[in-house]
Amino acid sequence: MRRRGRRWAGLACAQAGREGVARLGVGAGGSRSPVGRRESRRCWCSPRGMEGTAVAVCEVDEKPTILMTDSLVIKNFLRKIVMVHPKLSFSLLCRAENEPTLNLLNGIALVVNYQHYVSRPEFGTSELFCSRIHPVLGHPIMLFIPDDVAEMGLSRELILTPAAALCPCPKVFSNQLNRISSISIFLYGPSCLPLISPSQEQPTTTVFKDTFHFIDWKKYHLCVVPNLDLNLDRDLVFPDVSYQVESSEEDKSQNMDPQGQTLLLFLFVDFHSGFPVQQMELWGVHTLLTTHLSAILMESHSMVQDSIEVAVDQALEQHHQAAKAHQKLQTSLSVAANSIMSIVTGSTSSSFRKICFQALQAADTQEFGNKLHKSFREITQHRFLHHCSCEVKQLLPEKNDAEQSTEDAHENSNLELLAGISKQVKNKRLRRGSLRQGVEDKQAFHSARAPSPSEAAPRPAEPTAASLTPSRAGPGRDLEDALWLQEVSNLSEWLSSDPGP
Amino acid sequence: MAFAPMGPEASFFAVVDQHRASLLAALRSGGGEPAGGGVRPASSSEVLASIENIIQDIITSLARNEAPAFTIDNRSSWENIKFEDSVGLQMVSHCTTRKIRSDSPKSVKNFALILKILSMIYKLVQSNTYATKRDIYYTDSQLFGNQTVVDNIINDVSCMLKVPRRSLHILSTSKGLIAGNLRYIEEDGTKVHCTCATAVAVPSNIQGIWNLITDAKFLLIVEKDATFQRLLDDNFCSKMSPCIMVTGKGVPDLNTRLLVKKLWDALHVPIFSLVDADPHGIEIMCIYKYGSMSMSFEAHNLTVPAIRWLGLLPSDIKRLNIPKDTLIPLTKRDQMKLDSILKRPYVTCQPFWRKEMEIMADSKMKAEIQALTFLSSDYLSRVYLPNKLKFGGWI
Repeated sequence: MRRRGRRWAGLACAQAGREGVARLGVGAGGSRSPVGRRESRRCWCSPRGMEGTAVAVCEVDEKPTILMTDSLVIKNFLRKIVMVHPKLSFSLLCRAENEPTLNLLNGIALVVNYQHYVSRPEFGTSELFCSRIHPVLGHPIMLFIPDDVAEMGLSRELILTPAAALCPCPKVFSNQLNRISSISIFLYGPSCLPLISPSQEQPTTTVFKDTFHFIDWKKYHLCVVPNLDLNLDRDLVFPDVSYQVESSEEDKSQNMDPQGQTLLLFLFVDFHSGFPVQQMELWGVHTLLTTHLSAILMESHSMVQDSIEVAVDQALEQHHQAAKAHQKLQTSLSVAANSIMSIVTGSTSSSFRKICFQALQAADTQEFGNKLHKSFREITQHRFLHHCSCEVKQLLPEKNDAEQSTEDAHENSNLELLAGISKQVKNKRLRRGSLRQGVEDKQAFHSARAPSPSEAAPRPAEPTAASLTPSRAGPGRDLEDALWLQEVSNLSEWLSSDPGP
Repeated sequence: MAFAPMGPEASFFAVVDQHRASLLAALRSGGGEPAGGGVRPASSSEVLASIENIIQDIITSLARNEAPAFTIDNRSSWENIKFEDSVGLQMVSHCTTRKIRSDSPKSVKNFALILKILSMIYKLVQSNTYATKRDIYYTDSQLFGNQTVVDNIINDVSCMLKVPRRSLHILSTSKGLIAGNLRYIEEDGTKVHCTCATAVAVPSNIQGIWNLITDAKFLLIVEKDATFQRLLDDNFCSKMSPCIMVTGKGVPDLNTRLLVKKLWDALHVPIFSLVDADPHGIEIMCIYKYGSMSMSFEAHNLTVPAIRWLGLLPSDIKRLNIPKDTLIPLTKRDQMKLDSILKRPYVTCQPFWRKEMEIMADSKMKAEIQALTFLSSDYLSRVYLPNKLKFGGWI
């Protein structure tokens, strides 16, 4: 601990099993605003290191108010690290040990417990959500380095791999439509170290100030604005960029979940080459990226845009399926109610009209119409439209009997949806999407490895459903395939315009 | 009839007349006349009351906070079909049903569309106006998606209310043609005079036609329009006068079937069918004769079990030495269709049909009517059909 108007706090960080980041230096200084200038605090890795351990050194101010803010910044910095280095254990603040992770194709093990990313859903609704997020990868793309940045010593090729996920992931889609309420972007550099800008003048996230720069949100019917209302003091991973999705009038009028979902977007920047990287170089590049990431991403703008779009498209696919199903239900119920209204109001039989009005306890035609629409809405209030694919996975037989029976009891009303389509799916061979990927429960640390040239080379956008490392194999696979196909069939059924006879 | 052209001598139709006499005798003995049942024409007030009852049930369910559902007879299952020689295929009285629920993602749209069409029928019946299925589809083509959806729902509604389509004030567009020795008056008073030279369209309101006048010795159902036109060109109707020819241009629409049924009921003249010697042709002939599974609930108004298979018989191919290179191998789909027909209940009472189908199955070949043109360009009208009619070559 040193005193120079600021304190330096050393944090021991243990990493079991393999070499990785040897020493971490985390510094916080400059700005005193808790939120708006958080990027001005410095965070770095020390090149010096010992195998299996790391030390985080934090520079903090002694003034109580600033100390508290700085501590929160450090906490969030560490939290971001453990999200992709779950084997790391920071005894002071952050642990993600024994957390479920998903091994991404690029060797990153991402913690998938949704409670790290968003607040718990409202009381009574948590059972409707999957406990995990289901990230999908975009294409890894090679980044062009601007000349001026290259001259600063960035001689290696870098690749960007985006991953996107909706959080929390609904287990089932009911007739209450989930809306996307916010977007959180997380930036990681080589070795999956968070990219946090050391100075306010050159923030890492400049390029993301324009919400439309890399993603055309109109395509997803989202009205996105920067989120200025950020609170560091929450037990959540703090995003580097946060957008808020404004509710449309239509959303307000419809049966929308007020809390909403968050679209998580992870941007992993790493070395392209498969050659080993010296710690010095790693840290040098990390430092350069914290100041020049925006310029680098701008240089490869269209490729970055394509890659992110592929990931976001896939992450939102199920959301869109649910939205379409919801729309279909609303349209159908409206047609049904209007048709009944047409018959009742057009009838010349006063006894018929009287019986109808009495049944719904309506005094006049207008009240009858309102009650009719309301009744139709209410009877479908708790009906599930379709399953989330992660929920299908949970029906797999590898669970123990007790768990399975609980699931079955819980899912009774939903299974009937699957039962009706079991025949249809036998011959279907639909492409398996990444959502079906299992979640790795083993706690292996995966350093960011350089992918092969074929993985990393820039290429036109195409679905990357297989981007995630398959984590489940063996006898259960066939059943999983069948259940997955059932699920896809269920979705396609909803999209079909022909209701059939 | 004064307008009848000169046909063959009276003795030419001796066997046809004999056949007619046997049909009439069967009718008199009661063995050939349908017992009635199934759907029956309903008055407008009955249709309106039926729809109101359905709506009342739905509202009662909603008031109880229960999801309303339609229960509809399952028209697409052979389990629900019984065969009666005198009627054809008809629905069993206690058939299995399917539920169209308002709270199921699979059926909610169908539930809504049934209500939509019920409300349209309600208005049509109230205002005593008629619409075609196509008209209904075009009232909201985006909602319905395609014509088949409308067609199926109308059939479901007809089956659910147990009234024929006509009573729902829904007409089907006719595609069939009629020619020959026949006159009738349509509901609106229009006098129709069919001739042997040109065809007239089958009317869309078969129930409304009246004052049918004919001297026809027989009615020939021709599967395909091309063959029908060729027979007209060859002046077949005149040569075989007095006769009537009808084509449904492939699978017959409802009006063509209703017309054939009406002609049979009114005239009781022998009805023969001329179809390709392939499974598809046999299937079409079976629809005229025994009805289809999906419309089995209305079989009593549509089927004519007295229809006989005149040609082209698979056995004719060998008998007439039709060149093998004019024959077409049965496809896998043909074979499946043939197997399916052979398993149908009515085949058991048609041993000669079974034999013909077995000949086709054994030879693995099929033949179109046009195969006869390889013998002679007008072989069909000049030799094949006259001989068949003269010597009773039907089964």
